Amino acid sequence: MLRTSDLPGAALQESVPKESRPTLQARTFNCMGTVISLTLPSASGEDELVAATAVVERLFAGLDETFSLYRPESEASRLARAEIKLPDTSEDMRRLYADAVGWRLATEGAFNPERPDGVLDLSGIVKGHAIQEAGTSLLALGLRGFCLNAGGDVLVSGSPGSSSVVPAGVAPGSREPWRAGIVDPEDRRTLIAGYRLGGQAGAKLALATSGSAERGDHIWTAGAGSLLRTGSAASVFRQVSVAAADIVTADVLATAIVAGGLPMLDRATDGWDIEVLAVRAGGELLATPGFRR
Amino acid sequence: MRIRAAVSAALASAGILLAGWQSGTFVEDTGSAAASTSAGTAGAGSSGSSTAGSAGAGAAAKAGGTYAGSVVKTRFGAVQVQITVKAGSITDVEALQLTDDDRKSIQISNRAAPLLRAEVLAAQSADVQTIGGATVTSDAYLNSLQAAIDAANL
Repeated sequence: MLRTSDLPGAALQESVPKESRPTLQARTFNCMGTVISLTLPSASGEDELVAATAVVERLFAGLDETFSLYRPESEASRLARAEIKLPDTSEDMRRLYADAVGWRLATEGAFNPERPDGVLDLSGIVKGHAIQEAGTSLLALGLRGFCLNAGGDVLVSGSPGSSSVVPAGVAPGSREPWRAGIVDPEDRRTLIAGYRLGGQAGAKLALATSGSAERGDHIWTAGAGSLLRTGSAASVFRQVSVAAADIVTADVLATAIVAGGLPMLDRATDGWDIEVLAVRAGGELLATPGFRR
Repeated sequence: MRIRAAVSAALASAGILLAGWQSGTFVEDTGSAAASTSAGTAGAGSSGSSTAGSAGAGAAAKAGGTYAGSVVKTRFGAVQVQITVKAGSITDVEALQLTDDDRKSIQISNRAAPLLRAEVLAAQSADVQTIGGATVTSDAYLNSLQAAIDAANL
């Protein structure tokens, strides 16, 4: 558990009257090199939040133990060193590999689980998969309203107001969405756009963002002959956000668009029911209608 | 062109409304039984449903009403339009159906286009409940907006 009470940014909360926002409670933990935050409506009760966070943390930790290339003894690391062969790996590994190869096919190679040097790297799909599994577990626990944020990738269910405590100006039982902000890649202290997740039937529940200069995104330009990240190579996009019905689709397509550039952006909006906000290298924006005012 | 279209729409509508009236087709909740075709779907021939503004079918064609055209296959997928006629003029044209299975029309309406920062959905950091962004490291999290939001809810 991180202590975040004396952060520089904490002050900004004070400018907002408490009663104007739904009362929420959050817990965070460290995993996969980032911080995962689980937020529930306060009405769920603290015990429920503690129990739910424990379930999510266990799930993330389990997947990290298997898939992390930063752990020398993980199954993924042993596979990378060719100490074991793919058919001999765990069911989780084989299933995620199959998923990743399916995505490579669907994105015509823009999403690729194999590094140019031949090492299998499922990092591009593991976090999305972990979020998805966590979301399934939270629903199974009976939680209806939650927001799970893993290092900037978000999955929600229900509404922040799905509680007995109804914020001012919102009718009881209303299907209020979760309000997500997307950071400006030029200045991570400001937001470049907003997007509403969940709330009502048919609304998108997942928002994933990939950048071309971030550690952990493991993106390389499709067809590149070296291990250069797109940030230092030819990516036309500085940052790509994708909203979709599920987090794996959002995450994989955001990664694929950063790697595959404009052609992949058009293929993605053509072939999937998604909304995209892309920030070009020069700071200009491209967006689908869902991101327009 | 617009006047011709309106006139032919009204005429076609009237004729087919009459035919519909005679065949006694039941349409939706207006109580008026009718079938019509719109000017935009010339040559399609088949009939769509109509929700006339008033009960009398013949009167509706003159006074106006809403008419759905037949479904036409185009290279972008199935297209169906609905027109609103008032006093013999088309006042509104609306697409009822752009596609079923063909994704081409989604491509047209949903392609990402350039826009200015002032044109995107805006958000203030104090007004959001979660922050999306490219993966932040555990260290970077400490100074992130998400950390501020979490801190307020911890």
